[in-house]
Amino acid sequence: MSDHTDVLQGTLDLLILKTIVLEPMHGWAIAQRIQQISHDLLRVQQGSLYPALHRLEHQGWITAEWGASENNRRARFYSLTRAGRKQLAVEVSKWERLSAGVHLVLQGN
Amino acid sequence: MRIWHMLRARLQSMFFRSRRESDLHEELRLHIQHESARLQATGMGPDQARLQALRTFGGVESIEEACRDARGRAWLDGLLGDVRFAWRSFRRTPLVALTIVTTVGLGLGLVTVVFTPLNSLMFRVDEVRNPYELFAVERERAANAEPARFTRALYDAFLRETTAFSDAFAQTPDVDAWVDGRRMEGALVTTNFFDVLGVSATHGRTFLAGDDRPGAAPVMVLSHRAWVRHFSSDPGVLGRTVLVNDTPLHVIGVMPDGFRGLKVGALDFWSPLSLAGQFHLAHDDRGDATDLGLIGRLAPGFTRDQAIAQIQTWDTRRAVERGADRPSVPLILEPRLGTVPQPLEAVALFVPLFFAFGLVLLIGCANVANLLFARAVARQREIGVRLAIGASRRRIVWQLIVESLLLALAAAAVGFAISRAALAVVVSVVTSTFPPDFGDIRLSIPAADWRVALFLVSGAVISTLFFALTPALQATRLDLVRAIRGDVARDARPGRARDALVALQVTGSTLLLVCAAIFLRSSWAAATVDPGIRTADTISIAVLNEERRAAILDIVTREPSVASMSASWPGLLGGHTAIAQPAMGSPDPASTAGKPTVQYRLVSPDYFDVVGVPIVRGRAFRNDERTPSAAVAVVSERVARDLWPAADAVGQVLHLAPEVGAQNDDATPVLSPTAVVVGVARETTGFRLGGVRANAVDVYLPTTAETAGTTLVLRVHGEPEGTRRTLADRMAAIDLNMAEVRTLQTLMRMESYLLAIPFWLTLALGAIALLLTVSGLFSVLSYLVAQRTRDIGVRIALGATRRSVGALVLASSARPVALGLIVGGGLTAALGAVLLASPAAESIGSSVRLFDPVAYTVSLLCIVMACICAALVPALRASRIDPMRALRQE
Repeated sequence: MSDHTDVLQGTLDLLILKTIVLEPMHGWAIAQRIQQISHDLLRVQQGSLYPALHRLEHQGWITAEWGASENNRRARFYSLTRAGRKQLAVEVSKWERLSAGVHLVLQGN
Repeated sequence: MRIWHMLRARLQSMFFRSRRESDLHEELRLHIQHESARLQATGMGPDQARLQALRTFGGVESIEEACRDARGRAWLDGLLGDVRFAWRSFRRTPLVALTIVTTVGLGLGLVTVVFTPLNSLMFRVDEVRNPYELFAVERERAANAEPARFTRALYDAFLRETTAFSDAFAQTPDVDAWVDGRRMEGALVTTNFFDVLGVSATHGRTFLAGDDRPGAAPVMVLSHRAWVRHFSSDPGVLGRTVLVNDTPLHVIGVMPDGFRGLKVGALDFWSPLSLAGQFHLAHDDRGDATDLGLIGRLAPGFTRDQAIAQIQTWDTRRAVERGADRPSVPLILEPRLGTVPQPLEAVALFVPLFFAFGLVLLIGCANVANLLFARAVARQREIGVRLAIGASRRRIVWQLIVESLLLALAAAAVGFAISRAALAVVVSVVTSTFPPDFGDIRLSIPAADWRVALFLVSGAVISTLFFALTPALQATRLDLVRAIRGDVARDARPGRARDALVALQVTGSTLLLVCAAIFLRSSWAAATVDPGIRTADTISIAVLNEERRAAILDIVTREPSVASMSASWPGLLGGHTAIAQPAMGSPDPASTAGKPTVQYRLVSPDYFDVVGVPIVRGRAFRNDERTPSAAVAVVSERVARDLWPAADAVGQVLHLAPEVGAQNDDATPVLSPTAVVVGVARETTGFRLGGVRANAVDVYLPTTAETAGTTLVLRVHGEPEGTRRTLADRMAAIDLNMAEVRTLQTLMRMESYLLAIPFWLTLALGAIALLLTVSGLFSVLSYLVAQRTRDIGVRIALGATRRSVGALVLASSARPVALGLIVGGGLTAALGAVLLASPAAESIGSSVRLFDPVAYTVSLLCIVMACICAALVPALRASRIDPMRALRQE
């Protein structure tokens, strides 16, 4: 299991927003997509995915709609709102600053 | 957009709780289905896949809970839970809940009694078309300048030469009029008055332009109130002719109920400005010289500032064109909404009332706080358990406050009912006891609106913070282990807080009761004051229509119950001042400045006999000296002493000069500059009316009953009221408006009535306050005794006498009560001192005895007695504790 990394606290919001930027997705698909795109490096804890989704919806950054999934199952699809797109940009730049900083510190030693 | 999404998410989570719950449930279930489908696709069996999916997912319940928390919904559910919990707790102890609701409700209701009329004075906008466009054109108030008003000519010029207003009307100040023998108040207005305001009559019509032309039939429009009050809502009043100050006016219309003509209270009627002559408003018989107020509706496209700029330019140009100086005070625009023009002054007027009524609320809250302190001790076990199983202290304090807040909100509802009832009682008592001779009193129950509701709710919240916060904090400050063990702390009593509350209550009661006593004493003093003239059998007749003077004199002389008749100018309550000094050589006009003034009065020779003022030296006027030009005078003892300290006043020459800057109207008779003193009359103290002394006469000059302007003063045989009615009826048969007949006793009662109102008010408040204080003290002491039963039992077992135990309980209440008495008495005295230092001191100080020692002593004694009574029962109970039983209870 050591080749999986649990998603860092605080970056989950960024990953969720980024994942649904192209098309609305339901919770399970979001988790799968994050895992798949990160080549299985990142794994989303189910226990934190749904609270995060609900929190983002509460903030008004994403909105939810019932719909049919690819294999014709019912699912709750999340999509970005306009404010969510702005928030995504904010989160991305925050993350870039953080990782650049961490990178520099690691290089320095 | 974000706001919209947030709002939608939040509203959904708040109101569609069950749907959201099932959504959440469904979402998580579908997730597990997706996951197990994926696992089955990798070749797992269905059951195994499902189990695996559930395992990786984790606890469904806890995730659901985390989702709920993420939505911030916990707060609302928590509040609902608190409300349910509080409801159960009220059901368990209904008496406590009831006590709190009644006590706080009473206090809130009383404060609302004050707020409701203030609210309607300040915010009740008149029912006219768009009142926010209406502005009064006024001159800025300067401290020492007379408020310059407008004349008809100036108004006409204003309409012609400015464009800032789409239209403007002019109106006179309120005028008193006698309408069919009843006193009414009205105003004379330009005929566009109702058009500018945009209101039409409910019956009949308003003014037409022709109504103001000279020679047009004189007309009047009634207010709804006058129509109901004086014409019994008779629709047939239209077209009727009523006598207004002897001028027949046709009633042409009745205005709707809400219309007040931009006044705080509705007038009775409006008439065209051309009738100014009939109301004696015009000076020098020139109709255009009348003082007018100007109110206009802003023209479309004009802001207030633009309008001010335009009219100020107009004002300056006009002054320059006439070769006058620039106007010293600029024109300004005041919004006119039908509310009080000076709201801050109205608030200042209401501050003492709020203070007095608020004291009762404060005392009630102190009672409730004490009750909650006691409850906190009783609930130690319950609160301890909840703390022990993990509730945070903040959570429990919040819950306790929610409990109190619910009670306070219920109290606000009760308070509303109380305030309506109290206002109805006050209005009906005042209108039914107000002596009709004093005039028409305009009181109605002010309407309550959302501001009153807001006031009550915020009052409830503030009261809650006051009475619930400290007890709640106290209740949660617990030794957990002991509380759980059931070893309830017996001495967890906040003794100091409780003492402070009792002291606060006594202070409030003292303030109110001392004030009540002061007003009672002052009212009594005013009722029994000797004005120095006969009042028991004296009647005054003010002649309102000089053409009927002969008829009035005829009626009076024919009436057998009239013993003697005399005349006085001005009436018995009036007085005119002049500067008097001994005439020595040629009087120097410059020397009159700054000299003390005297009250002078013109009387007929019989006056001294009729009102029972004896002539101490010299003689009264003779019948051949009956005009002011006769150059004789009678002076009072004081004037005789002041002006001729060394010599006898009789035979001296008195110099009388009008006061510098005094306003003499047409009716003022011409005084002869010097007069020979023929007699000295006994000093009269005069009446007091609202703090103003009346009828303290210093110099008498001669006149006759036949002289226009004089008031007749009669002495009658027997009871004056019967004669008054006979005379009034007989005069009404000739002309309803010709005279006003009053007995002197009524005039005397005026002052004591004016003082009786604050007396009853403070007495009622003080009684409620004392009742609350006494019940608070009683319950605190009873509770302490019950709590210390074991302690007292031990004392008695060890040999304390029952008397000393009782004394101990009494003594424990003595300190806060004494403190409250001292602070309360001191505060009252300090308030008195502040009042005396204020500009109003002269009128207050003369009629209200601010430092009456009897008032202080009696009311303080009253409170001490009440407190002793309250403490006696618990003290007796303590002294009767059976030590054996008390000790066995443990």
